[in-house]
Amino acid sequence: MAARTATCAFCGLLCDDLEVDVVGATLRPLRGACERATAAYATLGTDAATRARPRVAGRPVDFDEALDAAAALLRAGRRPVISGLDVDVAGMRSVLALARRLGAVVDHVHGPVKYRNLHALQEGGAITTTLAEARNRADLMILIGTGWHRRFPRFVERIIAPEPFLGGTGAPRRIVTVDAIEGEARRALPANVEHLPLDAAPGQLPAVVAMLGALADRQPVDAGRITGVAPGTLERCVDWMRAARYGVVVWSAADLDWPHAELTVQALARCIRSLNRDTRFVGLPLAGTDGDLTANAVQTWQAGVPLPASYANGRVDFDPSRHALPRVLARGEADLLIWVSSLGHAPPPLSGSLPRVVLGRADLVVDHGVDVFIPVATPGIDAAGHLLRTDKVVTLYLPRVRVSTLPSAASVVDALAGRLG
Amino acid sequence: MLTRLTGARIIDPAHGVDDVVRDLYIRDDRIVAGPKPGESVDRVWDANGTIAMAGAIDLHTHIGGGKVNIARALLPEFNRREALPATDICGACTGGPAPSTLATGYRYAAMGYTACFEPAMLPVNARQAHLEMGDTPIVDKGAYALLGNDDFFLDQLATGADPRAVRDYVAWILHATHAIGVKVVNAGGISAFKFNQRKLDVDEPHTHYRVTPRQIVRELALAVHELGIPHPLHVHASNLGVPGNVDSTLATIAAAEGLPIHLTHLQFHSYGTEGDRKFSSAAGRIAEAVNAAPNVTVDVGQIMFGQTVTASGDSMLQYRNARHGRPAKWVIMDIECDAGCGVVPFRYRDRDFVNALQWAIGLELFLMIRDPWRVFLTTDHPNGGPFTSYPHLIKLLMDRTFRNDVLASINPEAAKMSALGALDREYSLYEIAIMTRAAPARILGLGDHGHLGVGACADVVIYEPDADPETMFARPRWVFKDGQLVAERGAIVAVTRGSIHTVKPPFDRGIERQLEAWFARYQTQSMASFRISDEEVCACGQAPRLVVHDCRER
Repeated sequence: MAARTATCAFCGLLCDDLEVDVVGATLRPLRGACERATAAYATLGTDAATRARPRVAGRPVDFDEALDAAAALLRAGRRPVISGLDVDVAGMRSVLALARRLGAVVDHVHGPVKYRNLHALQEGGAITTTLAEARNRADLMILIGTGWHRRFPRFVERIIAPEPFLGGTGAPRRIVTVDAIEGEARRALPANVEHLPLDAAPGQLPAVVAMLGALADRQPVDAGRITGVAPGTLERCVDWMRAARYGVVVWSAADLDWPHAELTVQALARCIRSLNRDTRFVGLPLAGTDGDLTANAVQTWQAGVPLPASYANGRVDFDPSRHALPRVLARGEADLLIWVSSLGHAPPPLSGSLPRVVLGRADLVVDHGVDVFIPVATPGIDAAGHLLRTDKVVTLYLPRVRVSTLPSAASVVDALAGRLG
Repeated sequence: MLTRLTGARIIDPAHGVDDVVRDLYIRDDRIVAGPKPGESVDRVWDANGTIAMAGAIDLHTHIGGGKVNIARALLPEFNRREALPATDICGACTGGPAPSTLATGYRYAAMGYTACFEPAMLPVNARQAHLEMGDTPIVDKGAYALLGNDDFFLDQLATGADPRAVRDYVAWILHATHAIGVKVVNAGGISAFKFNQRKLDVDEPHTHYRVTPRQIVRELALAVHELGIPHPLHVHASNLGVPGNVDSTLATIAAAEGLPIHLTHLQFHSYGTEGDRKFSSAAGRIAEAVNAAPNVTVDVGQIMFGQTVTASGDSMLQYRNARHGRPAKWVIMDIECDAGCGVVPFRYRDRDFVNALQWAIGLELFLMIRDPWRVFLTTDHPNGGPFTSYPHLIKLLMDRTFRNDVLASINPEAAKMSALGALDREYSLYEIAIMTRAAPARILGLGDHGHLGVGACADVVIYEPDADPETMFARPRWVFKDGQLVAERGAIVAVTRGSIHTVKPPFDRGIERQLEAWFARYQTQSMASFRISDEEVCACGQAPRLVVHDCRER
């Protein structure tokens, strides 16, 4: 038995202080594991997971046979789509080489969610910050929505709870929670902060954000028009915003789940820009889970344009309206789905009789309709890998914590490409 | 494998060779004197009538790292218009103001450039920078680590740390991030912006740490010098792009107190406040100061007319200048108690007074700074314009008639304010070879690059002479990288991978005790997570070799 330090791959915070007890292939987190990490380790950290076997049409086979079967499907496909893409940098490098080879459409499993922030960026830009800046300098944090706590469980402990050290005033940190509903997030807040809850009726979050922006910009608006907000709360929030020396607005795009949510992200960006005329204010979008930022970053640097993209006809084409996975599947534009997924456990979508080749996490539960399943190593557990953190600045190297014979996603994708001759 | 290139006119300023016809021999990846006794030549290339130079070196080009990738993500409307189709060996990608890493490698190599240096690698972003450079094919790479705005260093200065501790920290960063030099950007200003300071003059104290840019530049220049790092402190001076910043630039030269410094994208720092519009050229004063200061080298950061995007670590000044940007969307970031960045698209127009004068100021600097060993050819890619405009820039330097024709077509008020029309100087091919090969290799300490002597790496470019230098430099007949033909008349014929160039000066590891505690208290990763091993950086950089250049401790 040995305790090892590990970096957790299971949300965009990439906490690098986990202590994991390693007995053979069995892993048990001793320290630093949140509920997400605990759940992932419970199913991945077993001896059985390292012995997961490839399957062809549900039948266990060896790796060679699975690769042959997958390669045959790849050769037969004319309009493949590659998705999942919750992989490390090496995995994405290999995926893109294969996509160029096949002329495939490429999109991340969370592509449409991820695009909310990217769309807003491409329309108007952004003023943002990173985790250490927020932790050390923020005297005000505005937390939008309720899901950030569930999606990024250690954000409170690692970023909100520590005293702001560098240039801090010694006053307690101010926190505004902009919730449409009561939430566990609020209960999780530490005692050492001054908290202003800004509640509104369900569905009112876009209106609240718009109103905060208008007030911050000193527009003549009637703040009382928003239903469910206690009188004076919006004004108090804006007073705090104006008084802040370093204000940080935090959101997770996955929470902004309504049509044209990018407009809300743009409204936040505009509000932040206005406040910077007099003080410092920044955004901190929380993302990076399931490698969404990693996949997008590698695509963006190699191709010069982000996801979703098509490599058909020897050209790369970025077009979020045409190449998003849900649309490609709904319109029957693909004749093969290649699912590459080493971090998350989202199952590959079913779409009619579309053939599916799945390179997945060892504990992935796939339905019998999957034509070929090949288990792959999870970065930070079975293999070393690189992932981008939520702030898109820090890339962490996740060493492996156990000896495993599971092949990396990159090596399986490369092996498939090699079989195409 | 022994190769002979016959009959080329050699231009090799590192050895004082100017237009001498002789054969060049390449054994595998090195230049050799000739066949060993009994050795036969495997391949002969007929280079009669051509001009041979060493592979060109760009010592300041933003090719990798977070801010470049932000620029790519921000501007799909431009990049998608410049789709580069796949070939048998090149992957489909796009060009545009912030080109993809693939296009960057292909285009540099096709133009005869064989080594590129990323000038602003934020230490906390070093992995991504190496990953992006690793996906930049063919060319060799290196990077300068950005210091001087990080809270650890500012705290060292503010608390009067022993200069030896500063040196140890600088060296530790170079090791941990695999850099070849140190750059400071708007010394202290990026940090000050986080404390809502909107400007910081050379003698103005940082509102929190109470240290001045002058102190920061001096301390870092001294540390770099004493560690014996070949490349002097690379300085992006205070007040980038601000009219009247000539005073900051001259004060920055003075701050070095005679220690070696390299002033980068000097054009953006050579502005006066004369005339009706309170914007004028101060290139004359700056050139005079540079000519008189042998410790100073510069690169110009020439602007080129057209659409581009500026990507800089200087969040303070990028925020201030963002209102001039087109299209009107920009990104500003505060970064990890380490640095910052600002990405602002610009469209430089020849009919615009300010842009036209910026263009003229850059050329004035090139022509008024006398020593080609101390002035380097850059556009600060992509900030002043794309690196693909270098052949055009070379023509502007070599052909006075052409230059004056362009001058006659720009904003007439700007043309009137500029001394450019009165400057007769025309660069020779020999001087172009100095500023694009011999001099950058020397100032980076790349012993076996930038020349064609025996033992040099076989990065060789064969040009066909042409009355139009732009044509000659845009598409060399052959480009050899490490002895292998990689490009022919503008087309990539082989895709190889370049090495990573670094320095690893010795230092006292005792500094890690302080650093470990600092990381634990303030950072959001451990010191162990931050540090990149040799093995890891080669995997990131997909590099066949990690080249460590010598330092001479002083």
